[in-house]
Amino acid sequence: MGAAGRWIRADLRARRGQALLTVLAVAGIVTALITAATLLEDGTNPWRGLFTKGNGAHVWIHTVQAPDPAVLKALDGVTDVAGPYRSAPGTLVQSGKKTPVTLQEMPAALPPVGRPVMYEGRWLDALDPDGVVVERSFAKAVGLRPGSAFTVTGLDGITHNLIVVGLAESGDQGFYPEWKPGLAWTLRETLLAVEPKSARSESVTGLRLSDPELTDLTVQRTVTALGGQVRRVSTWREVRASMELDNRLLGVLLALFGAVGLVAAALAIANAVGGRVLTQRRDIATLKSLGFTRGQVTRTLLIEHGALGLTGVLLGVAGGWAITMYALQDLVVVPLSLGPLAAIAGGTALTVLVAVGLPAWRGGRTPPIPAAPATPPYGRLSRLARLALLVRLPPALVLGTRDAFTRRLPATLTTFGVAVPMMMISIGLGCWATLDDFRDHPERVGQAAALTVRPGSVPPNDVRRRALADPGVAAAYPGAEVDTLVPGQTRTVRARALGTSADPYPFHVVEGRLFRERGEAVAGQGLLDLMDARIGDRVRVTIGGTPLIVLIVGRVIEPEQDGEVLSFGIDSLAAKDAVPIPFYSLVLHDGADPAEVRARLQAAGLEVSQPVNPADRLAIIRVIIVALVVVLALIGLANLLTASALGLRDHALDLAVLKAMGLTPRQVTATLVTATGLLVTLGVLAGTAAGASLSAWLIDLQGAASGVGSGIGRTPPLPTLAVTALTAIGAALLVALIPARRAARSQIPLATR
Amino acid sequence: MEGAVTPMTPVVRTVNLEKIYQNGGVPVPAVRGVDLRVEEGEFVAIMGPSGSGKSTLVHMLGGLDTRTNGEIWLDGKRVDTLSESAWAVLRREKIGFVFQFFNLVANMTVADNVELPALLAGASAAQARARREELLDALGLTDRADAAPGHLSGGEQQRVALARALANQPRLLLADEPTGNLDSRNTRDVLRLLGRVHAKGQTIAMVTHDARVAGMADRVINLLDGQIVDDADMAPARRRTGRSGTTGDVIELRG
Repeated sequence: MGAAGRWIRADLRARRGQALLTVLAVAGIVTALITAATLLEDGTNPWRGLFTKGNGAHVWIHTVQAPDPAVLKALDGVTDVAGPYRSAPGTLVQSGKKTPVTLQEMPAALPPVGRPVMYEGRWLDALDPDGVVVERSFAKAVGLRPGSAFTVTGLDGITHNLIVVGLAESGDQGFYPEWKPGLAWTLRETLLAVEPKSARSESVTGLRLSDPELTDLTVQRTVTALGGQVRRVSTWREVRASMELDNRLLGVLLALFGAVGLVAAALAIANAVGGRVLTQRRDIATLKSLGFTRGQVTRTLLIEHGALGLTGVLLGVAGGWAITMYALQDLVVVPLSLGPLAAIAGGTALTVLVAVGLPAWRGGRTPPIPAAPATPPYGRLSRLARLALLVRLPPALVLGTRDAFTRRLPATLTTFGVAVPMMMISIGLGCWATLDDFRDHPERVGQAAALTVRPGSVPPNDVRRRALADPGVAAAYPGAEVDTLVPGQTRTVRARALGTSADPYPFHVVEGRLFRERGEAVAGQGLLDLMDARIGDRVRVTIGGTPLIVLIVGRVIEPEQDGEVLSFGIDSLAAKDAVPIPFYSLVLHDGADPAEVRARLQAAGLEVSQPVNPADRLAIIRVIIVALVVVLALIGLANLLTASALGLRDHALDLAVLKAMGLTPRQVTATLVTATGLLVTLGVLAGTAAGASLSAWLIDLQGAASGVGSGIGRTPPLPTLAVTALTAIGAALLVALIPARRAARSQIPLATR
Repeated sequence: MEGAVTPMTPVVRTVNLEKIYQNGGVPVPAVRGVDLRVEEGEFVAIMGPSGSGKSTLVHMLGGLDTRTNGEIWLDGKRVDTLSESAWAVLRREKIGFVFQFFNLVANMTVADNVELPALLAGASAAQARARREELLDALGLTDRADAAPGHLSGGEQQRVALARALANQPRLLLADEPTGNLDSRNTRDVLRLLGRVHAKGQTIAMVTHDARVAGMADRVINLLDGQIVDDADMAPARRRTGRSGTTGDVIELRG
């Protein structure tokens, strides 16, 4: 190992900069991947963590009367039962604002299954019947803290003054406001005081299963066992899905970038090692003449370049950890778990080794005769060069053009080495443009309405008039959202009635058309996938207990609920669900500031909410894009350095000849820069074009996979692309200029032989 | 196999050695049926015009190139059937190479270049260092040990290359135009060193097209179109004079 060690040390010393660049590129990719995965996992994990900590129940059954827990426990696959607990609807009153809330009974001693996880304050106490514990996301939304007053009215209108004693989290129900209404736990006696009539309350029972996969089967069995008692069932899948709602598009986008990064890293390393091995053929041959075996050479190269890559991986892991710890402190609570971390580190390490393997193997096969001249560049004058000659371009340009295309393989490698990072940068810019589009044109992602108003303290009949009275409001569409059962599913999806068939809400229809009549509906991609339905299909759904057959006439961009939303006119809805109209979606005039309108409407006594723009949920993508562009630029630079080193090697002999022929050093420089620059320009243009044309399609693909639906992808704007491409070409020429000048001014003709 | 039995085993022996290159499907013979025997302690110069196959012959003797037909015996063992790796291992122990273009590893210092073969053969770092110091001292290069090869003159580089070739005390030193890239002063230096090494008993086979250089050798072999056309022992007295021999004149007319 001693001899190989000496060789590796000497080689690394001779090209510190390049080695550092390789390490940095790999480290950058790994850091970006880890950061992305951490963010992603953190978005997905709250359910897992809460469910585990609270020993949660997989299925929650809402029944009219309390079922016999013994019957449920006897069911196959059920290991334990939580409850039954009484649960009743109430209204939280805060200085004139009314928010629906579900009160659920819980014992003072936390149960073994399905127990809330304390976050702040203390749990219920039998000695303090006025105390309530509020679910954390709900508490945050309505501004409750331990010690806050919790004034609640039951259906009978009697007000009860309770006190928040603690905040807790639960893996048995999704976060507010995705999961409504909010949840608060009270003692049984408190619940009975607020809602004494059992007819207005329901019973909630949790089932913990031996195998989560048994969920569907268990639900069916339970429904059979309890007969017509079951009102509603919620499963862990639903809860998990609701908690990761915001992250599915984010997840697929991050995965896309991750894959892109890995490919780019592999390319950069293969290119760097390949180029290095090519320039070292003579040294390798010398080593072999000294007695290095083929395997030894391959091993030595693998160790040297592999070690660089692995150093990068380690550095990247450390970098990812540091970023999670310091830069993302507020966003991320738990660092990435070991599995994904190992997968990223292992995957990158493997990519590195594979990328190093091929050039190392080729290096090992170098013939051992060091005196054998490197095959001189040969080939016919390319058409381009002949054209250049015809139009009497300066000789340096012609010679450079000739050099650029004489050797096909290196030329292709260089072009690709630049084109691939450039393509990925363009795709990144496409994602950026898509996010900008989300923000600038929310109507194109199904958020035409900037605000949603609910009656609040205003009589329901008056809401529309008051909203339209505001100068900023252009239109108000009546709306209602109802849980819907779709065939073949054990969980409910959202049905949204918005606008009327005659005057529909301006959904962004990307396929088919908007509904025009009663009984017609549009759906998001997620719902179509869920029901395996297509446009033109009739589907039967059960909305609030009423069966309804709707004809799906179009697909809309649906950023909510992973696209699992069915939308139709409110006139298609049964009166019991639509009267009084629960809310109005307000479309504002161009230029009206939603915040101002919101303030005015609130002052008028309406309850106003503002939907979250998907771009805000995906804001982290922008950070990733910037990081990725930096890393990709590094990779492009590494590729470029390799290319220009190779070019110099190929042309070192020519250089002496060129000078002998009477080319000035400046002309020689121009020749070399032209040779590299042409390939780079070609690569940049090809990469930008490919990226620009691919990005919209790729993002649409991601959109479709995430349920939002295709039709969201945008191409980066032309000026941005132009500036990026010009910057890349300019930087590349500058980088190519340095070695070219040095070579042109060196006095001694470089003898490579 | 009978060769092993004879009392004086030659260092190298070839039997009907042939090398045929394929050039676009057309066979181009480079070495045609060479029978060569180099005894221990001999200094053989191989001469011939460009393209006569002399470099190819020496490369085959060192296993850098494969033979097409025939046998190569090294130290009484048949080696032409060895694999590339086995040849590499053999080279570490028994063969030293000196090339026309020195072929020092540019990134490594002079010291590292010279220590490399010893390390490769399994010597400890200390042993390799001791051997290197000894060699550089003998070749008058001690003060250049830490220099990069690029900073040395051609003659110095070739002396380093020679030190490297001798690092493992090889049975056979193969030199391919060792003075081809040197001026006359450096040529003289390098030749003097080769003479000194030879005087200590080193077996040397050297390719050259310079008759004066060949004059150093005990024996001059002339190749033409891949065949030995002349194999002449030099009188010991002539070895030192360095004057052109008759065979050399013929070759020079052709070269």
